[in-house]
Amino acid sequence: MKKLLFTSLILSTLLSNVAFATQTIKANVNGMVCAFCAQGIEKKMRALSQTKDVYVNLKQRVVAVELKEGQTLSNDTVKDLIKDAGYEVTSIEITEHPIAHIKAGYEATEKEAK
Amino acid sequence: MFIKPLNVIIPCLGLLLSNQYATAGPMGFSGSAMTMGDFNNNWRETFINYAITPRDAFGVSATYMRADDKSKTRTLEEVTYTRLLNRWNMPHAQANLWFMGGLGMLQGEDKQAGNDQSFDKIMVTPGVQFDYETTRVYFAATHRFYRASDINHDYSAVRTGFSFYETEYDKTQPWFILEARNMNGLSEKIEITPMLRFINKNFFVEAGVNNSREPRFNFMYIF
Repeated sequence: MKKLLFTSLILSTLLSNVAFATQTIKANVNGMVCAFCAQGIEKKMRALSQTKDVYVNLKQRVVAVELKEGQTLSNDTVKDLIKDAGYEVTSIEITEHPIAHIKAGYEATEKEAK
Repeated sequence: MFIKPLNVIIPCLGLLLSNQYATAGPMGFSGSAMTMGDFNNNWRETFINYAITPRDAFGVSATYMRADDKSKTRTLEEVTYTRLLNRWNMPHAQANLWFMGGLGMLQGEDKQAGNDQSFDKIMVTPGVQFDYETTRVYFAATHRFYRASDINHDYSAVRTGFSFYETEYDKTQPWFILEARNMNGLSEKIEITPMLRFINKNFFVEAGVNNSREPRFNFMYIF
């Protein structure tokens, strides 16, 4: 009985870790200087069924797309959508940090720079 | 006497300051519709276009033009095509070269002492625009032909400006913009308009008063 409980606990821990894993795709983008013009990137990203949230930082030239639990999105799809919106992706990375964490990091950096 | 030199100096200053520039282009992103309005006493223009690709948009436009002395009025309804000829995406800047063209009907009225005339003509309006922008500075130069038989109302404009400060993507950013423009055959002078521009991710508005002390209002919105 104890063995069964222990196994269940391990399994539920593992599964919960999988279920709550966050995947955020972070792209560095050239040419993104105007919010009115860059709204196309946000709208195209939000239109994807995999997207949970989108973050755009003009000063840092960053677009971050946080995916819903269990969802995946290829780097090429992100690159193509940003290109379609009129911009150029210079690099792309996948992180496990949610957008709130990424945003807080940039805000802290910008605050320090002031 | 004092005004004439200013009409030359201010646009030249604008050009000199314009080694760095920024603004919204004449079309939105692929699959979007963009509407724009530009209003003052002698020039009222509104258009809507739809971007069928990241580089091509088709639309319709209506423009009312009037001479400074009110002796001539023109109304133009046209179908338009906008093409992004080239875009340069740089780390902290973007530059664009646009083609804008239209084909439509011009209704004109010339009021001269004892000889009022009205006419309808087909008008073509091909033109180009170059713009450059960063998050802090903006420049645009536009030249567009407005031609019909025996009619030449070619339009030239230069704009430059700066933002007061940088903002986050979802905040409204205020700008100062200075524009110099002229329409051949309708105005002998260069219209100079200092404007305040407010850019948000959802809207774009400008308001100012020109060198004839007339108000000016522009807006853009993308659906």
